[in-house]
Amino acid sequence: MNASTKIDLLDHLNSRVQRHLDIAVSKFQNLDESTLLKPSSTGGWSIAQCLDHLNSYGDFYLPEIKEAIKSTQGSPQGEFRSGWLGGYFAKMMEPSAKKYKALKGHIPHSNLDAHAVIAKFISQQEDLLKYLQLAVLADLDIRVPISISNLIKLKLGDVLKFLIAHNERHIQQALRNIQ
Amino acid sequence: MNEELLRLKQLLNGLGPLSDDDWIAFSLIWEPFSAKRKELITVAGDTEKYLYFVVEGVQRVYYFDEQGREATIVFTYAPSFGGVIDSLLLQQPSKYFYETLTTSIFLKTTFTELNLLLSTRPALEALVFKGVVQVLSGVLERVTELQCFTSEEKFRRLLFRSPHILQLVPHKYLANYIGIDATNFSKLINRIKL
Repeated sequence: MNASTKIDLLDHLNSRVQRHLDIAVSKFQNLDESTLLKPSSTGGWSIAQCLDHLNSYGDFYLPEIKEAIKSTQGSPQGEFRSGWLGGYFAKMMEPSAKKYKALKGHIPHSNLDAHAVIAKFISQQEDLLKYLQLAVLADLDIRVPISISNLIKLKLGDVLKFLIAHNERHIQQALRNIQ
Repeated sequence: MNEELLRLKQLLNGLGPLSDDDWIAFSLIWEPFSAKRKELITVAGDTEKYLYFVVEGVQRVYYFDEQGREATIVFTYAPSFGGVIDSLLLQQPSKYFYETLTTSIFLKTTFTELNLLLSTRPALEALVFKGVVQVLSGVLERVTELQCFTSEEKFRRLLFRSPHILQLVPHKYLANYIGIDATNFSKLINRIKL
């Protein structure tokens, strides 16, 4: 999906975030602490670690997204076209068999307050939903800084796509721990 | 008759007898309305324009002030009425917010239409009066719980009234409703172990 109408894109992202919230609320928050902290069967991250990793991205991007939306007003643009790098990153983050190493600053801790991590994730997703609603009035082409390099900025629309695809990836990973 | 209206009729029948004629007049003032998760439906300071009938989903009425103090006053879910009822019936600015906590489906009607209908149909007015008294009854019960019950008892009451709420609503809202810190909520669940 390299070009799409802005409304379609935001709708699509909104329903993805809704689904992530449904999973966190109906499943993760109701698990006991030992299940949340248990490493995966292959020795990988626990559910709490998966979400802590996502929270570290939220900590960086949500304030940037909020700021970007606030700084633009009433853009009439009807279509959103991904930048080449932004589109590439967003696609790369979609769930797949390919693994990437977590980057510095995003490696989850091991001694986590599991329920606090889940609660924070839920709050972040609620904020994200609010921003997606506001983004209808924003210019999705405005540039937003990214966490891994201060030389590159990506379009707001691509940052939203990237962040939510990345959430999807690790929520699926977390779900595999309780299957 | 569509299913939403049928549920509304069942709710009214639970309050008292209703003639076919009154029901038809009542059923005509409603229109469908839906909202996604975490949408603000009524904002404090605005006067409530609509009465809602909840068909699906969970919502909350809550207080929130400049000092960041927040109180979840009531959860609404199907089949019950929703909205800020006092603001609606008194036509005064609302002190509270009304928001969805899950994707929600409603029927809604305006104060103007409702008021007009009730002024010409005493049997309907009596039913609505009874409905409002039941709401009052619920509020008095809740005030008692807030003053006398332990957190654990309040939590049990909540689960008794709405058994599925743990799977539907983020725990922080349940903690807020009970009046405890969100960080203590998981301890409470562990202690009670359903």
